[in-house]
Amino acid sequence: MTSTPIQGAPIVVQSLVRHFGSGDNLVTAVDGVDLVVEQGEIFGFLGPNGAGKSTIVRMLTTLLKPTAGHALVAGYDIVKQADLVRRSIGVALQDSAIDPLMTGTELLELQAVLYGIPRAKMHERANTLLERVGLTVAADRRVITYSGGMRRRLDLALSLIHEPTVLFLDEPTTGLDPMSRLALWEEVRRLNREGTTVFLTTQYLEEADQLADRVAIIDHGRIVRQGVPKELKAKVGAPTLVINVSVHQTDLAKSVLARFGDMRPTDEGSVAVGLVAGATGVAEVVRALDEARIDLHHLELNEPSLDDVFAEATGHRLEGATPTEAK
Amino acid sequence: MSTTNQKMLPLEPPSAGGSLFASSNMLTLRAMRAIQRVPATFLPTLAMPIFQAVAFAGTYFAITKIPGFPTDRSINWFLSLSGCMGGAFSGLGLGFSAIRDIESGFMDRLRMAPTPRVALLLGPLLSSLVRTFVVLTTVLGVGYIFGARPTQGVLGILMFYLAGFGLAIVATGWGLGLAYRFRDMRGAALMQLTLFLVLFTSSAQAPMSMMQGWLLHVARVNPATNILRLSRQGFLNPPVGGVSWENTWGGLLAIVVLGTLTMWFAYTGLRKLEQ
Repeated sequence: MTSTPIQGAPIVVQSLVRHFGSGDNLVTAVDGVDLVVEQGEIFGFLGPNGAGKSTIVRMLTTLLKPTAGHALVAGYDIVKQADLVRRSIGVALQDSAIDPLMTGTELLELQAVLYGIPRAKMHERANTLLERVGLTVAADRRVITYSGGMRRRLDLALSLIHEPTVLFLDEPTTGLDPMSRLALWEEVRRLNREGTTVFLTTQYLEEADQLADRVAIIDHGRIVRQGVPKELKAKVGAPTLVINVSVHQTDLAKSVLARFGDMRPTDEGSVAVGLVAGATGVAEVVRALDEARIDLHHLELNEPSLDDVFAEATGHRLEGATPTEAK
Repeated sequence: MSTTNQKMLPLEPPSAGGSLFASSNMLTLRAMRAIQRVPATFLPTLAMPIFQAVAFAGTYFAITKIPGFPTDRSINWFLSLSGCMGGAFSGLGLGFSAIRDIESGFMDRLRMAPTPRVALLLGPLLSSLVRTFVVLTTVLGVGYIFGARPTQGVLGILMFYLAGFGLAIVATGWGLGLAYRFRDMRGAALMQLTLFLVLFTSSAQAPMSMMQGWLLHVARVNPATNILRLSRQGFLNPPVGGVSWENTWGGLLAIVVLGTLTMWFAYTGLRKLEQ
């Protein structure tokens, strides 16, 4: 086994499969995923809860063995060269796995030793990272006293202790308030500017849209779309017109809207259509609805979003795609 | 968001990986800090053996009146059971901690670290031995206050410690192995159940010469009987007591065999977490 990585993309995944259980209880969490993350990009991995995002991250970070398929991370095979993969990557998992009884400094020192950082450099590195994530004042407090945002920032600092070339962030802003979310986004951008390749999983469309150079959309263990967000949205084409009408008029509204473009999936109680004529066609739609004696409660025209990309690819909307603020 | 400052994949990974010794020491330190910060997690491990030694010695003080009983002090007899139980509880305590780490996700952080897998077992093992030392010393001190007296000097006391440490190793391996397989508190129940079953079907409460029926047969093949004999030899009167190879080898063998098997059980359990 060589310790020299294969030069190329930091993450290469081929036909990755992961089953759980067996027999009648067999669940396929990841079903033949292929993807390539290029050097120095932020790659957004978008999908609803249970789509297989975290299972893929757990395989790529050596926590879980794949059932089938191959993957190289930082140029190393995730199964045959797991230790070299671990030495190359930083990981902040979905639930900040931090011992609440330890202080920030103690956790960073533990992490430093586990990653083989010499004692002489350990304190300097810990202090630099604490300063970077704004936790210098809280460094000697036990983590149990930290807020959710502080824990996430400490988790990020822990993942950076050995200056990894590839960073995995598994839903890093779930449950965070808007300010903490923005601060974390800024830190991710900064890391990326410094050259770190970032693999970011999220269920938030805005997060993927704001941060990612490229995204992959996963549903039921399969990648359904992959590419640059702008291009993916452009492929959806027409903007989406969403109207709300009374429940008993829904079918009638659908038949009217079908004349203006392809029907699109939407929430219950709404009807949506890809409006081929764009904004200029709205007046005509309103007239048609009026002629059909449909009471229009609400109307909105949305430019194509990643949610439209997701809906177009899967036939349903991404639940929980909007961040819920932490209380 | 594209970067102009792209890092090429380095020829060597950025981390050298943690060493076995340093990583194990840090994990031991972490376990010690947890005791210091939440003493309640360690208190039962310390209190139970003391309570048992004092309560059993008081309740069954008349046992020494039986002709041929190898000591005239009941606490001398029960002290070793408490020492062995203290060692075993100390080891199982690390199994409980492993379950908490799995449930909280901290075990994932440890498993993702580029440190030898053995360090993830050695760290808990070392902390279990430190805990055992505290328990054995306290049990010995309280036992002395309640009348326990070694009959074989320092060597006898060393045997008491050796048996306690041995059971701590066995229990650590057993506890970690169950924790890694069950991954929740079901493992904890099984740890305690097996500990009590093994200890109380041995010569824990009465010498073999006073046993009858099925218990005698079980105690004869129970390795805990040998470990208790190893522990008791410094507190009993000859010919049953007295530090000798005859009283030592069986216990040592039991510790080496069971320790190896249970630590292997723990190692394979750790590997199973990846499945």
